[in-house]
Amino acid sequence: MTSSPFDPQSPAAPAAASAPPPLPPGQSNAPFVRLPKSPGLAACLSLFPGLGQVYNGRIARAFVFFFSWVGSIYLTASGHEFPFAFMIPFVYLFNIIDAWKGANAANARFLGGRAEAEEQPEVESPVWGGSLVLLGVLILLSNLGWLDIDRLARWWPVLLIAVGGYFVYNSLEARKASGGSAE
Amino acid sequence: MTRSAFSPEGVTFGVCLVALGVLGTLANLGKLELLPLLRTYWPLSLVLWGVLELADLTIRRSSSGRS
Repeated sequence: MTSSPFDPQSPAAPAAASAPPPLPPGQSNAPFVRLPKSPGLAACLSLFPGLGQVYNGRIARAFVFFFSWVGSIYLTASGHEFPFAFMIPFVYLFNIIDAWKGANAANARFLGGRAEAEEQPEVESPVWGGSLVLLGVLILLSNLGWLDIDRLARWWPVLLIAVGGYFVYNSLEARKASGGSAE
Repeated sequence: MTRSAFSPEGVTFGVCLVALGVLGTLANLGKLELLPLLRTYWPLSLVLWGVLELADLTIRRSSSGRS
């Protein structure tokens, strides 16, 4: 007579009884970790600009987004449609994306990941800082009466050319960096 | 990429608050008109922010050995 694992008298029965039950597919028995930030909640809070950044604990950034949004609306309403009318949707959408990415970065930091490397790769370019300086100088010159910024409005398609060229340049650089194997 | 030496938007926000406090105090003392000054010179905050972003990028690139 042979012993069976289903036989309570069998020597294999205690080991089979103490083994954990198999998990359904797609689940693991890794410990549950509650992440500190919810990217979805951060994005939802950012529907009011700056609130998602407050949730992420980045107060200075929250003020920057809030005042950029309010300032763009104020300046558009006071007759400076260019470039501030374009900035309103840009600031609003960028604020939501920034809150989402900020929450993901906070979670990555919590898990000990490389949050810094993944936080804002697009900021690794002088274009962002240069654009801020250029915008500030143009508005300042306009405020001082040394430049009529409304006359620049006819040149706005040049902005599209510059942004398009920047994307093309970035794509070529990324392809070059990956040895030409990237999609 | 190396970690930032400082937060550009944090420094900009702090400097703007200090400047606002100083200008507000001077305005309360009757030394200057606050609102016309702010209306004219607020873009300096954008310039400062941009310069600090560029400085931060330069520091990170130099510390990570990139040119």
